[in-house]
Amino acid sequence: MLARVANNLFWMGRYIERAEHTARFMNVNYFSSLDAPNKLSQSRQFVLHSICSMIGDDVDDDIGLNEEDVFFNVGLNPEKPYSILQCVKFARENANSSRDMISTEFYESMNKFYHFVMNYPKTVFVKSGLHDFTTNVTEHTAILRGKIRGTLLHDEVYALIMLGINIERATQIIRIVKTKFEDAQKATGGYSNPIKNSFEWTTLLKCCESYDMNRRFYKKPPVQLTVLEFLILNENCPRSVMNSLNQIQRHVTLLDMLKIKDKSSAAFLIGKMRSEYEFKTVEEIQKNVEKFIENTLNTLVEISEKLEKEYFNY
Amino acid sequence: MDLGTSKPIFSSYQKNKDLFDEIFDERNNVRPTYKMIFDLYSDHSIEEFAGLNEKAKASFFNQGITFQVYSDKKALEKIFPFDLFPRIIEAKEWKTIEKGVLQRSKALNHFIWDLYHEKNIIKEGIVPLDLISSSVNYLRQMIDLDPPGGIYNHISGTDLIKHSDGKYYVLEDNIRCPSGVSYVICNRNALKRALFGVFNHYQIHAVTNYAENLLEIMESVKPNHVDVPNCVVITPGIFNSAYYEHSYLAKTIGIELVEGRDLFVENDFVYMKTISGPEKVDVIYRRIDDTFLDPLEFRQDSAIGVPGLFAAYKKGNVSIVNAPGTGVADDKAIYTYMPEIIKYYLDEKPILSNVHTYHCSKKEDLKYVLENIAKLVIKPVDEAGGYGISIGNRLTKTEIENVKKVILENPRKYIAQPIMSLSVHATYCEDSQSFEQRHVDLRTFTLLGKDKSFVLKGGLTRVALKKGNLIVNSSQGGGSKDTWVLKK
Repeated sequence: MLARVANNLFWMGRYIERAEHTARFMNVNYFSSLDAPNKLSQSRQFVLHSICSMIGDDVDDDIGLNEEDVFFNVGLNPEKPYSILQCVKFARENANSSRDMISTEFYESMNKFYHFVMNYPKTVFVKSGLHDFTTNVTEHTAILRGKIRGTLLHDEVYALIMLGINIERATQIIRIVKTKFEDAQKATGGYSNPIKNSFEWTTLLKCCESYDMNRRFYKKPPVQLTVLEFLILNENCPRSVMNSLNQIQRHVTLLDMLKIKDKSSAAFLIGKMRSEYEFKTVEEIQKNVEKFIENTLNTLVEISEKLEKEYFNY
Repeated sequence: MDLGTSKPIFSSYQKNKDLFDEIFDERNNVRPTYKMIFDLYSDHSIEEFAGLNEKAKASFFNQGITFQVYSDKKALEKIFPFDLFPRIIEAKEWKTIEKGVLQRSKALNHFIWDLYHEKNIIKEGIVPLDLISSSVNYLRQMIDLDPPGGIYNHISGTDLIKHSDGKYYVLEDNIRCPSGVSYVICNRNALKRALFGVFNHYQIHAVTNYAENLLEIMESVKPNHVDVPNCVVITPGIFNSAYYEHSYLAKTIGIELVEGRDLFVENDFVYMKTISGPEKVDVIYRRIDDTFLDPLEFRQDSAIGVPGLFAAYKKGNVSIVNAPGTGVADDKAIYTYMPEIIKYYLDEKPILSNVHTYHCSKKEDLKYVLENIAKLVIKPVDEAGGYGISIGNRLTKTEIENVKKVILENPRKYIAQPIMSLSVHATYCEDSQSFEQRHVDLRTFTLLGKDKSFVLKGGLTRVALKKGNLIVNSSQGGGSKDTWVLKK
């Protein structure tokens, strides 16, 4: 496969996944804040700052934000590289460049998604369309994932898309954890009493579509310990970092079985990270959550850069 | 269906008696071939048909079967308008077309070989030397070069029309990078999606076998000493208006779609950059014009070509489909010599007629043209896409004078032909929500390889969607129809 096309497939996967997490984060945060139990969590400004922080456009807490502006920027602003609209546009551009590699069925769904986002009326979105738009975005991405799994050959094309999707998923999940962890601290002034702020932990789980399964698994209201354990270490939770790492390892092996022997390869680093995660306990993570999150993010960036060097350099 | 509120769809069909209607004969009866489909379509109300038309459009749009047009520096995606009423060609009629287009392809291949080698046809005075020497499409780099398998025009697109006399005439032979074949297949799929019932009543040749035949043709002209050739399609990129077709062909053939930047040349061999290192490429179906192929040999400013590609080609290490330099023979001035060219190389009579052509480069022809512009179509010999064409009976007096001036400035650049009346076909018009007569032509696709040839049984019927318009090119607002070739 062409190196350029491999790069396109990888980034297509990343952008599809990114659009979904951004949409869901907006949706869940905003709607759960409407009847939040404490004043700060209910505050519109608090929610808007949280959204900006998650997509990486940090704004100082004391600067007031306009709701419609934030919605527009994160949802449909073609000038903002992080907007959902741009993610979908980039995803489709990458699909266009690799169109001969992917199935007609998948491309048609990608194309419908693109037209849905491009034609969504701005004024409707910022005033009343938040729920409709974001749920549609998550639906479309689910369809795309279905078509990727169900209509493509599970060869290196598939492996590259899955690498993109899972590296992005792990990154977004850990970013969401980071944002909500910070929110939870702010909402209670430190996390000395983890049970009290179960509201923020519930929101966090919902942002990752993992609330119901978390309740089923622990049979208790979510607290910091169980939520971090579930979203980071539970390999059966499809949104956990551990689950993504397993998939990343599986698909990088599909690309090249032998590269893992090379200490400087992406495959080696992925194996190393995955092994560390496998024997990590949540109690260890709790000791310094910020540090753990930072390390995870850095390693994911390093993996992505190594993949780029090994496979896409042209 | 409620006949009380809905009108049958042919209720307002107006017939112009001077034109050859593909569906109705002179006495206004439906021709036998179309009888069945006419009855089936007549069962639909206008509303039903409008609904089907919308669905077909949405299907093209969602599948991304589109081309780009640029306005105000913004790229717009447009679908190639598609008409739900198919054009039907009878088995007997098709046989002649198929033989005729293949004959032309073969003759042109001999002709190009001759032009780049002995030039016998010029030496014998059959084709004038200045037609070749003044052609910008004659590539001196190709002189004495033998393309693998001896084939130049592997892929030809022949444009045919049916005149008011009911006979087919060839308008053009496109042997550079003829496009449109993906639409032949997409149109068939779209019609199946919308009106599958009609297919039960006709025995129609499939069109899906184009890709496999193209691959066989490509493999047949592989460089010597290659067992299983690695074939690719090269595209200028996603912003090219025909990118959809490029990706479609690569996908259906099952080969890589590459851009110039994906290839490089080392020691006169061509390689593509893959995730596991360089991989040798043996046959390239190029959808890039000659002069952009290799900045070292042709246009230096080409950013879409591959430096060193031509040197590799010269060494016989890679095949290029179609060969560089074929453009010299799809010049509209050469077209007029086609009957002589066929006679000279094949010793056969042309199976398909040419439209009579006046060469402004010839004195007596020039005189006739200048005196009879109102009866003629004036065409520049080297423009594609229907640009620069003047239709005599549409011009005002001052416009005629202007055209005369333009011709006299550079007579070599122009030819003139009698105004041919393209046949008309019932076409659904969105504005009037009814069927109306619209002019149509037909592009066929012929493949020529080493000891192998193939004519796609079907073609692209292009429709001029504007009332009375004769120019069917998609860049000028044309649409298309599914084209059925009957098995018997």
